[in-house]
Amino acid sequence: MFSASNTGGFSNEPLSQDDLPALEALPLTPVSKKYRLINLGVSATITLLILSAITTGRYQTFFSIPDELRRIFPYAFAVVAILGVLWFTYHFFADKKIKFAVREQDISKQSGLVFRQLSCQPILRVQHVELKRGPLARWAGLASLQVFSAGGEMHTFEIPGLEVDDANRIRQFILDHKDVSAR
Amino acid sequence: MDTKSVEEVKADAEVKAGVEVETGDAWQRLALIAILYFSVRNIKNSAQGLIYIIPALAIGSNILSNLNSPEAYITIGVLVSTAVISGLISFFMYTFRIHNQHVEIHTGVFQRRYTNLPFWRIQNVKIEHPFYYRPFGYALVVLDTAGSGKEEANIVAVPLAYANALRKQVLAEKTKDDGGNHHQAPVSDSEINEADNAGAYQNNTNEHDEEVLNTRSIGDIVIHGITNNRVWIILGAAAPFYDDAIGLVSEWLADKGLQLNQLVGEQTVAWWQFGLYAFVILMMLMAAMALLSVGGALFTFYGYTLSRSDDRYIRRSGLLNKQEVSMRASRIQMITAKQDWLDKVLKRVNLYFEQNSTAGQQVQELMSPNKLIVPSVTEQEAVALSQEVMPNCQLHRSDYLGISKRFILHWLLTAWSIPVSILLLIGTVSAELDILLASLGLLILASLLLTLRWWRWGIASDSQYVYIRRGRIGVDYLCFEPYKIQQVIVKQSVFMRRRKLASIKFVLASGSVTVPFLPEGYVKTLANNVLLEVESTRKSWM
Repeated sequence: MFSASNTGGFSNEPLSQDDLPALEALPLTPVSKKYRLINLGVSATITLLILSAITTGRYQTFFSIPDELRRIFPYAFAVVAILGVLWFTYHFFADKKIKFAVREQDISKQSGLVFRQLSCQPILRVQHVELKRGPLARWAGLASLQVFSAGGEMHTFEIPGLEVDDANRIRQFILDHKDVSAR
Repeated sequence: MDTKSVEEVKADAEVKAGVEVETGDAWQRLALIAILYFSVRNIKNSAQGLIYIIPALAIGSNILSNLNSPEAYITIGVLVSTAVISGLISFFMYTFRIHNQHVEIHTGVFQRRYTNLPFWRIQNVKIEHPFYYRPFGYALVVLDTAGSGKEEANIVAVPLAYANALRKQVLAEKTKDDGGNHHQAPVSDSEINEADNAGAYQNNTNEHDEEVLNTRSIGDIVIHGITNNRVWIILGAAAPFYDDAIGLVSEWLADKGLQLNQLVGEQTVAWWQFGLYAFVILMMLMAAMALLSVGGALFTFYGYTLSRSDDRYIRRSGLLNKQEVSMRASRIQMITAKQDWLDKVLKRVNLYFEQNSTAGQQVQELMSPNKLIVPSVTEQEAVALSQEVMPNCQLHRSDYLGISKRFILHWLLTAWSIPVSILLLIGTVSAELDILLASLGLLILASLLLTLRWWRWGIASDSQYVYIRRGRIGVDYLCFEPYKIQQVIVKQSVFMRRRKLASIKFVLASGSVTVPFLPEGYVKTLANNVLLEVESTRKSWM
């Protein structure tokens, strides 16, 4: 199609599978199951915390609360509960869908529940790589890999919920890639 | 006017020959005129801080009556002398040298700052001529780096000839660098992968000849001012005088027998009369806006020339402050030809050459070195210029693949159905006919706009470029080289998958472009081809 279509000697085979270099044939690996568990735990805990906080606020007897607040309480409770359930359900279904693939020349990530999105980042265009680990992720031995290109902060390529070893391996793979290291 | 700028270019080229750029080991001071520059800059900076205090001051003490008092003179005197003294101090604290292909600058009074900028990291060289520099032949050199916006260095006042020589030297260094002399540039700076383009630069070593590609006459700029809203250029500069201006205008209107307060307050005026007044005022406002916009356009684009020197495009323009922006051809990520409805009527096109945008830094579009604009060119000129930058590109091709009609349905259902049905519900419940009609009108308007958008939106590609056409009432044509892509994203909703449709998003260094609701097969082939182009040609995007 483009001028490069007849370039000889170029290869971009999937690392684990000998197939055509086509996006639809990517051998996608799901991210760690722990990532989903953490998200589910966090959403459930925060929702329950807020709910219990407003409930204790409502029924405690140490100081009186205005009538308006008392009247709002059931609605507030319902809204928080619904949002919490939505949050929980989203992670329940969506986190399973986060998958990634590494090829010789690029890394890809597929995600999304209703809108499935497949983004592909050529390693040639990588500016730098970062591993991000929050306290919970550190505790669970997870890391998220951030890959920066010149496309701007809006388009930082991020694979969340990788096992630390995997994340480090991919990071090293990108850094050792001749297009990134040969400068 | 056009010939004058061409002559200037030639004169510059002649002067260039005999100037030594390297200043050696010793630190240099700027030309004395820099004191004026620093004073003006300091006044400007403090004025921006004080602008909110001025109204309070004005109310607190009647300035007009006190303007002749000795206190006022003393205050003004103190202010001016503070500015001059601060200018002097800034001047003495500023030293620079250009040494071993590095620009080094020491600056700052309390916070000393040392900038060391190697020539090969300089991305843009911008030469500005504030109006008070022009009679004396001085210039301000702005050196842009590929990094963040803060990493830019200004050499505040040097002779014009020196500025030109410096620019030439920086560009020459660049060419040499591309030719294989690889410096150890930081990892974030990927301009070294350009060996494959280097041949083209080296053939053309005499940099004295600058080819003028396009000039804009005053007529063109007036058209640009009318078709594009450039009001803010003036409005921004005139912000402190708004209150006075509004007062003046309403006085003038009162003189003409139009009393705004009475008009709105009185019930006696018939609705059509009121409508007429409103219409007249609107027309007057529009005319005033158009005039202001023309003024703004003239202010920025007066004496516009676009020229090419080797692999660089250079834009010069400006009425009071002459500005010069230069951009390397290889840095251009995308060409955008924008045509609004008024442009379509007048058969004019705004052409943008877009470079990488520094994230998080919103620069004013027109002044920005990241976007080189050629204002209001004719359609033929637009085609010629786009082909000059991207040879053989065909913006106005006939084989654009349109997007699916489901696009209209999708947006009607996801974005418009809720407000329309809420309005409809309110209308039926309250039995108000006009609300019902309004909801239907909204629905029709939305579907009309969506249909127009669907009708315009399309994508095409040939052996060299990817083209995108889009717009509602106006049309934009975009063109980019696939190997400059940073990232490709394919999106598909559950419903789109069922209909075998997909959206594709290209992330370029200049921003991202999306084309939605294309056939799935086409999107996948295009994505694969673009990725192959990036990964196999290994060309640099810069």
